[in-house]
Amino acid sequence: MNKETVNLDTNYLKNKANFIRNKVLDMIILANKGHIGGAFSCTDIIVSIYYSNIFNFNPKEKERDKFILSKGHSCPTLYVVLADLGYFPVSELDTFCKNDTRLEGHPDINIPGIDVTTGSLGQGLSVGSGMALSAKLDNKDFKTIVLIGDCECHEGSIWESVMFSGHHKLNNLIVILDHNKQCATDFEEDIINITPITDKWKAFNWDVVTINGHSFDELLNCFSTIKNTQKPTIIIAETIKGKGVSFMEKELIWHHTVPKNDKIQIAKNELR
Amino acid sequence: MDIRDALFDELYNIAKNDSNVILLTVDLGSFSLDKFKKDLKNQYINIGVAEQNLVGIAAGLTLTGKNVFIYGISAFVTSRCFEQIKINLSYMNLPVKIIGSGPGFVYANDGVTHNSTNDIAIMRTLPNMVIYSPCDAITMSNIAKMSYKSKNPVYIRVDKGELPQLYENNYDNFSDGLSLLKTGKDLLIITTGIMTHQAIKLSEKLKLINIDVGIIDIYRIKPLNKKLLLTFIKESKIKNIITLEEHSIIGGIGSIISELIIDNEINNIRLKRFAISDKYSEKHGNREWLHSFYGLDIENIFNETIKWLKYND
Repeated sequence: MNKETVNLDTNYLKNKANFIRNKVLDMIILANKGHIGGAFSCTDIIVSIYYSNIFNFNPKEKERDKFILSKGHSCPTLYVVLADLGYFPVSELDTFCKNDTRLEGHPDINIPGIDVTTGSLGQGLSVGSGMALSAKLDNKDFKTIVLIGDCECHEGSIWESVMFSGHHKLNNLIVILDHNKQCATDFEEDIINITPITDKWKAFNWDVVTINGHSFDELLNCFSTIKNTQKPTIIIAETIKGKGVSFMEKELIWHHTVPKNDKIQIAKNELR
Repeated sequence: MDIRDALFDELYNIAKNDSNVILLTVDLGSFSLDKFKKDLKNQYINIGVAEQNLVGIAAGLTLTGKNVFIYGISAFVTSRCFEQIKINLSYMNLPVKIIGSGPGFVYANDGVTHNSTNDIAIMRTLPNMVIYSPCDAITMSNIAKMSYKSKNPVYIRVDKGELPQLYENNYDNFSDGLSLLKTGKDLLIITTGIMTHQAIKLSEKLKLINIDVGIIDIYRIKPLNKKLLLTFIKESKIKNIITLEEHSIIGGIGSIISELIIDNEINNIRLKRFAISDKYSEKHGNREWLHSFYGLDIENIFNETIKWLKYND
């Protein structure tokens, strides 16, 4: 965990999240591509992870905490956060999904601040389990945080890692589930309903916490008080796909549609 | 020495001297692994029957400073988790060593699910991937040592049993990736793994009818030492080459040599490829039976080769 002063100012974090959503919108419009709905549903989660200083991601420190965006298509948010924090120039965000860029549609290890290439759902958690296992083997303190999607939980490989991590009591592993209840083409409950989520993960020997994924109070409180049990933790963050822009919220088409024409101004106004 | 014993004995020595070396298995054992498991218990983890998780875990361990070997049945640790290998190992260029037990028809009696007859073809398509295919215990030990130091991901095809020793104990050119085991002037056999031993037997049979055979054993399939291979081919002045492999005719050694000949515009070379044809056997049997079915037995290769050589005349 971080040695720097923890920032629990929720107003600061709310403003930062608004700023990030604004920049994500600009970036996606410029590129004419990007998975905006999922990027917005996890913005508050990613902002609270990176800006609260609860976790230490200092790239100069080998034993820093690790973050894996397993639901890699939400990378526009992570890219903007990393640029804002100085991992690479903010101007590079204009190259998102353009030619000769590092910033492609899913996270890539060639981007400073990103440890694992993701995009094929269901794979990031295994890598995170490996990192957490490594820390256990060497008695190191770093935490591994993996952000997964709900429809990502359809992938069998997720459950291989869940069973493994529960069995090996990887209590230094934190999974956050961005439960926005929408897949790409339909609602989660109409494709494969993954509920009851709590029961499933508890059955695999995980601690389970459920929070409002848009409440900074709940996010910060949760991160600060992860129970010191012998189990890995999953934080089920109840979220809204497209959060922050009224016409996008809970609408299926905004999985990766790019706003055009008057919708752009409406969105900008709401994110002011 | 059993080729698998050679591997695990070497791995034991390596791991004993480097506590960062970790061996992960998907619930696959070996007698020669028992010592590793017993003496180095913190460096041995049975991941369970989960190949996709195996590769992800290996990647995570490697990203945090470990030197990782993973071990499973060749068919499963290549195909079952191919995407994880593609992204986490090949694209991210993480030096995880994949030990694939039972390439080809090693596990013949276990049926088609356990046959690994397309592993070279699929693993070849992965940038950064190094592919080894040893034919004897000496080669295997050296491959283990080279893999330990590799900066790239590695796939090692490990056969079974006590195969005849073809390399001298003091042979020290294993970094070449291939060797001219035997010179000849009438026919060149290019081969790998178990079929290298078949090539030796075939050459003895052909010698009886005055056909002088050279043999090249490729034990590092990727990256191929094209320069050395081309030198051997050109210096031999042989115009008839056959390839032998216990692998699909698509994408293996035969394809590699075809590509080499075409890419380097080598004129007047005839090439005949002996491999597993693109069909399944409806019935099953042991390794020898399957070789017969696919025409990979010595008798068939001998007859077909003579016919083919005479055609050239």
